[in-house]
Amino acid sequence: MSVKELSRGIYELNLDDRKMLATRNIMPGLSVYGERLIVDDGTEYRQWEPSRSKLGAMVLKNFEIPLEPDSTVLYLGAASGTTVSHVSDMLTDGLVYAVEFSPRTMRDLIQLCDQRPNIIPILADANKPQSYAHIVEKVDVIFQDVAQPNQAEIAAINSKYFLEEHGHLMLSIKSRSIDTVASPKKVFKEEVRKLESDFDIEFEVLQRKELDPFHEDHLGLVARMFVDDED
Amino acid sequence: MADMEFTAWFGKLKLGDAGELEDCSLFDKDPEKLAGLVVELHGNVQDVPLQRPDLREVALESCFVELDEDYDVLLRDVCIRAAKSQISQTDTDDSRIIQAVQALDDIDKNVNELSERLFEWYGRYFPELEMTGEELARFISAYGSRANVPEGHALSEKASQSMGAELSFADEELLRALANNICSLYDTRRYIENYINTSMGSVAPNLCNITGASIGARLISMAGSLQKLAAFPSSTVQVIGASRALFKHLRSRAPSPKHGTIFNNPVIKNAPWWQRGKLARALAAKISLAARTDFYSGELSPSIKEALDKKLDSIRQANPNPPKREPKAQPQGKGGKKTHRGKRKGGKR
Ligand SMILES: C[S@@+](CC[C@H](N)C(=O)[O-])C[C@H]1O[C@@H](n2cnc3c(N)ncnc32)[C@H](O)[C@@H]1O
Repeated sequence: MSVKELSRGIYELNLDDRKMLATRNIMPGLSVYGERLIVDDGTEYRQWEPSRSKLGAMVLKNFEIPLEPDSTVLYLGAASGTTVSHVSDMLTDGLVYAVEFSPRTMRDLIQLCDQRPNIIPILADANKPQSYAHIVEKVDVIFQDVAQPNQAEIAAINSKYFLEEHGHLMLSIKSRSIDTVASPKKVFKEEVRKLESDFDIEFEVLQRKELDPFHEDHLGLVARMFVDDED
Repeated sequence: MADMEFTAWFGKLKLGDAGELEDCSLFDKDPEKLAGLVVELHGNVQDVPLQRPDLREVALESCFVELDEDYDVLLRDVCIRAAKSQISQTDTDDSRIIQAVQALDDIDKNVNELSERLFEWYGRYFPELEMTGEELARFISAYGSRANVPEGHALSEKASQSMGAELSFADEELLRALANNICSLYDTRRYIENYINTSMGSVAPNLCNITGASIGARLISMAGSLQKLAAFPSSTVQVIGASRALFKHLRSRAPSPKHGTIFNNPVIKNAPWWQRGKLARALAAKISLAARTDFYSGELSPSIKEALDKKLDSIRQANPNPPKREPKAQPQGKGGKKTHRGKRKGGKR
C-alpha cells in the first residue's frame, strides 16, 4: 500500500490498485459512520467517501483546500457530522465550530462531539449569526453546506461576523435548493455574482467547479474575503 | 458614543467606540450554569457589534482560563451541555404531538380488532343485541351474561327471550375482562385526544384556530414536524389534506374527497360544487400561513382566521351562479392548464 498526501491532512491511499481518499483517524479504532479503517505502518486512516461529502468531492476535483492542522473552522450545516469528522481528523491542533439547526440531526452530531475533543456543537440557525456570536471566535475558514435558497446571503453574513481578514470561504451550492427549474449553470452564475457584488463585504472567488459525478447539480467554490488594504 | 455591551459565553464585555475592550466581568466557571446562559443567548439574540475583540484573547487576558487548551476544553463541555439541553427542550413540542397522533392510530387499530372479536363472540349468547364498539363493551362490562340485565332495563325483555346460548361462568369472566380492556382503551383514547387539544393550543394555536386541534395535529404528523408543514407550499398542503390517512381519521361516510379531507369541513362540504375548488385553495393557503406563523412566532394571530372568513365570503359572493358551459371556458381553461403544466414539470424531474 502506498500513501500520498494530497493536501494538509488529506491522503490518497493506494490499496491493491484501488485509490481511496482518507484522513488520519485521531481516534484510532473508532469508525464514525461505518467507513473503513485502514492501518498502514502504525497509522490508522479512515476512508472518506467523496459521494457522501461535498468537501471530499472538492478534494478530488483538485480544489486547493485551505485547511491547516491549526485552523479554526466554522462549519455551517454540519448535519450528523460525516464531513465534520474528517475535518476534525485534519485539525490535529485546531477546532471546528459545527452549526446545525435540526435538533434531530444534532442528536447524532453530539455523539460525535462526545468522542472527539475538537468539535464544538452549536444548535442554531445559520441565518442568525448573532445567536451564536457569544460562542464563536474569529475563524480562518468558513465551510458551508446548508442547502438553503439564500445560501449566498448566509455565507456573507457569517463571514462578516466571523471570518478573519483574508480568511477563506468554502461553499457548496446546491442549485435545486435555490431554483428548482432554472438550469444549474444559470443558478451558479447568479450565486457567484451575488457573492462578488451583493453584500457589503467582498469576496475574491479563487476556484469554482461543479462537483459531478460525486454530487449532481452542486457547485463547489472557494473564495477569500477581500479586504481593502489601503486605509 | 455610548458604550456597547456584549455578552460572551464567559462574561459580559464592555466595549468602547471602536469595539475595543474596556471592561470585562466574568461569570462563574461552572459548566452547567454557563450552558444555561449559552442556551439563553441562542434564544434572546443580542445586538452584536461587528468590531469586537477576539473572544479567546479576552478569556485568556482576563484569566478566565490560563491556556489556549483550557479554553477549548471548557467551551466544548459547555456547548455539549447546552446542545443537549436544547434538544431535550425541543422534545416537548410537536414531536410529542406526533407521538400522540400515532398512539391514537395504534389504539384505533387495536380497539377495532378487539371490538370485532367481542361482537362475534358475545353474539353467540345474545344475538338480538344490536350494539357494537364502545357501547357493546360498556354493556358487557356492566352486565356480563344477559341473565344479569335487570328488570326494567330497556333490554330486559330482549335479554330474557333471547335465542342465544347459555353463557358459562368461565366464559362470562373472560368476555368481561376483554370488554373492560376495550373500555379502558376508549378511555385512553379520550385522554390522548384531550392531550392533543391542549398541546395543540400552545404549540400551534393558529393552525388549531383554522382546522381544529385534531386535524391540525394530523397535518403536523403527516408532514413530519411543524417546521416541515410550515415549509410546504399551500399546494402541498392541499395534497396531504386530501390523503387517505386524514380521510380515514375523520371517519365520515362521505364519498371519497374531491378537495382533500381537511376540506371536508362544512365550509366546503355545504358549498355549491362550483365554489368548492376556490374555497379549498383559500383554506389551504391559510393553513400554510397559520403553520408558518406558529413555527416562527408561536403567537395566536386572530387576523388569519378573520382574513380566511373574509376571503371565503368574497368567493361566495363572486361566484353566486354555476359557470356556463362553453362560452366562458376560455380564461378558466387557461387556469386549469397552468396547474397541469406545473404537475408535469414536477413529474419530469
Ligand atoms: C446537505 S446537509 C449537510 C451535510 C454535511 N455537510 C456533510 O457532508 O456531512 C445540510 C444540512 O444543513 C442543515 N441546515 C439547513 N439550513 C440550515 C440553517 N439555516 N442553519 C443551520 N443548519 C442548516 C440541514 O439541517 C442539514 O443537516
